[in-house]
Amino acid sequence: MNFPIVEFPWFGNGNIVALIAIIHVLISHGVAIGATAIVVSTEYYAMQTKNAKLDQLAKQMTKWIVIITTTIGAMTGVGIWLSTMVIQPDSIGSLLRIFFWAWVTEWVIFIGEVVLLLIYYYTWEKWKEGRKKQKHLNIGITLSIFSWLTMAIITGILAAKLTPGRWMETLSFWNAFFNPTYLPSLAFRTFLAVTLTISLFTIFVRLFVKDEDVRPQLFRIFSIWGAISLPATFVFGLWYLKSIPEQAAKLIVWSTGLPEQTFNVLNIFAFVLIVVFLAWLVIRPKKLPIVLALAMFVSAIGFIGEFEVVRESVRKPYIIYNYMYVNGITKAKAEAMNREGYLAHSTIAKVKEITDENKLEAGREIYLGQCLACHTIDGWRSKRALANRLDGWSQETIKSFIPNMHNVRPMMPPFVGTEEELEALAAYLYKVVNEQN
Amino acid sequence: MHVLQLAIPPDFPLPIPGNLSLLEFLIVLTFLLHIVFVNLTISLANGAIALEGVGMIKKSKRLDDMARICSFHASVHKSIAVVLGVAPLLIISVIYTQYFYTSTLLIGKAWLSIIILLITSFLLLYLYKFSWEKWENKKGLHFIVGLIASAILLFIPFIFIVNIVSMLYPEKWETANGFFHSIVHYPQIWQRYAHFILASLAAGGFYMYFYFTWKQKKQTLSDVEQTLKIGGVKVTFWITLLQLVFGSLLLMSFRRDVMLLFMGDDLLLTTLLLTSILLTIVLCALLYVAMKKDTPKWFYASIACFVLIVALMGWMRHEVREAYLQPYMDEYPRTFDVQKENVQPIK
Ligand code: HEC
Repeated sequence: MNFPIVEFPWFGNGNIVALIAIIHVLISHGVAIGATAIVVSTEYYAMQTKNAKLDQLAKQMTKWIVIITTTIGAMTGVGIWLSTMVIQPDSIGSLLRIFFWAWVTEWVIFIGEVVLLLIYYYTWEKWKEGRKKQKHLNIGITLSIFSWLTMAIITGILAAKLTPGRWMETLSFWNAFFNPTYLPSLAFRTFLAVTLTISLFTIFVRLFVKDEDVRPQLFRIFSIWGAISLPATFVFGLWYLKSIPEQAAKLIVWSTGLPEQTFNVLNIFAFVLIVVFLAWLVIRPKKLPIVLALAMFVSAIGFIGEFEVVRESVRKPYIIYNYMYVNGITKAKAEAMNREGYLAHSTIAKVKEITDENKLEAGREIYLGQCLACHTIDGWRSKRALANRLDGWSQETIKSFIPNMHNVRPMMPPFVGTEEELEALAAYLYKVVNEQN
Repeated sequence: MHVLQLAIPPDFPLPIPGNLSLLEFLIVLTFLLHIVFVNLTISLANGAIALEGVGMIKKSKRLDDMARICSFHASVHKSIAVVLGVAPLLIISVIYTQYFYTSTLLIGKAWLSIIILLITSFLLLYLYKFSWEKWENKKGLHFIVGLIASAILLFIPFIFIVNIVSMLYPEKWETANGFFHSIVHYPQIWQRYAHFILASLAAGGFYMYFYFTWKQKKQTLSDVEQTLKIGGVKVTFWITLLQLVFGSLLLMSFRRDVMLLFMGDDLLLTTLLLTSILLTIVLCALLYVAMKKDTPKWFYASIACFVLIVALMGWMRHEVREAYLQPYMDEYPRTFDVQKENVQPIK
């Protein structure tokens, strides 16, 4: 506990980051990456078939890519920085020390991407014929590569949080970046992006593109992409799944908060839905039901939400696997903290030496430092609200549970600290829980 | 100095990733790129509503047209400003972690509110820009939309300034109580804010001068554009003169030993300051000529002057921070070589 703590007592600290991240992933994958690839292929197809209307439709879609990525996309991207600093300073600060230059590179490429996107959009009418059109298309292809590259870099960092691999021994950047889940997760995300775009955009095309000369054409392009991306997402998803640590894999179903059966039914249903949807696009592109398109839209958002929550959650109790726990305590430091005291090692702790008078205050500081990352006292996620989980527990029971909590619930990090600190935490929790109830 | 029980955390055991001088150079450079676009966004958005407001009172179509041009430019610069902000944020996070993270977390909720404030303001700016014709008969509503967007833009700098000032005063962290209290708690906040807003106005004016002089080389300007160009020069001229006063006020608000560094105690810093004052006076002279004669003759000289002044300001700003933090650096060293024992658990 080296930095001041910001508490979101009801909403829960972890949920803040999750909310911003989900929106950002929807936009970066679904709009910036997937949609760009689809728009560029639409332009190419329109060129081949000399379909001027389809070409204009591709331009229209590009306009939306511009608006969405430069506002909500860019802002949530910056928002991830602003929020992780506040919620997980130890983890993001450490990751920055490891991956600084990767992030700088990503930033430079992102600027290139925005510039290319603007050029691509604003030269659409100027570079219309012959060689110029080819040049315009090449810009689009370069743009697609750039937007994919930003993902290729960020994926290295995200994957390292789950599987830092040999980094723990070598402390080498390259070992951290090209870690065991890098390739599978990159492959998975690449095709996921395309699948996501198709699922998100179809409803808008269905509702707002009335022209029968272009809509079926566009849906044809969607279905060709879908025929590649859907099986690929599935196959690479399995590869990804196989490559994550066993302990993490066990937590997947649990992470969603759903009973196993519901989880299976929902995911199978979603899979069947997307197969039906793609088949429909291929067979009867002219008569795609609005409900089906809408269902795809909703389930795509649901799936990304699920994916993000699971990806963040299976890493528990770690935030950087085997290195740092979710509450910012590093494994390497835990030993010393057990010996010399957690509070003694916490810069901002007001209590260093526990007495009868300051016991409750000490307990609160330990709660903030070690439990707040995942728990609230009270709040909408009742499974994480301690007032709910500890209801009816005696102070003694609480005290004997805490030192074993990482064994009983492997998603929790071990408690660190001295006997007196344990006592203080138990006393504090017992008090607030009973005040709350 | 007594720095023993301060809440400055130990640095992370993982090393700062790169040569410190290089990172310092990059932070000055990327921060300047970022802040110039922030300046333009703030001044052009506020310029737009000021012109529109006066235009409504005077029933002047010309002022309204001028306002519209400003709003268009503001909306382009805002996107650039945000994107360019990421690099300095990353660098300050890695080289001043112990100070910057703490100061950020002390105002954590205000800091998070930036996301919502910016999105709101940006969406309103789009609405403002795109509804100019549609809401011709709802001028009041249109004006209010712009006003809210601009007011938010005027507020956000407080959050950044509080953060960046508070990181310089670890001994005041203990008694700080949230964002609003911090505005009055720390020294220099108002001085920095005034200096910054004036700089924004000057940059906005200069941008108009720059943009339309450049455009004039290719085509003749319309009457409205010509007025904006000369107006821009005037704004820059007067504001820059004022800046000599407000810059001095800011200097006087520094901790005494830091202030004195710029007043003889340190040769380099004193030279930097004197050079910047000299250049400011030269710039004003050049602008005065441009204002009276409307000749493009000194155009490039004034651009060079402007760029140099901005560069000097960025450099001095960095040196101020270094000077403030110097006393703590020995006691709370940064990590340059990995502390293996604190990274790899003993087996
Ligand atoms: C990495 C996140 C994380 C941290 C940090 C954490 N917990 Fe938990 N805790 C959980 C999760 C997840 C559960 C289980 C929720 C569920 O049942 O689905 C849980 C459950 C619990 C339960 C209920 C156990 C039961 O068997 O009913 C208690 C009590 C508890 N935690 C106390 C604590 C205390 C005290 C701390 C701080 C010392 C702490 N937790 C820190 C994630 C965490």
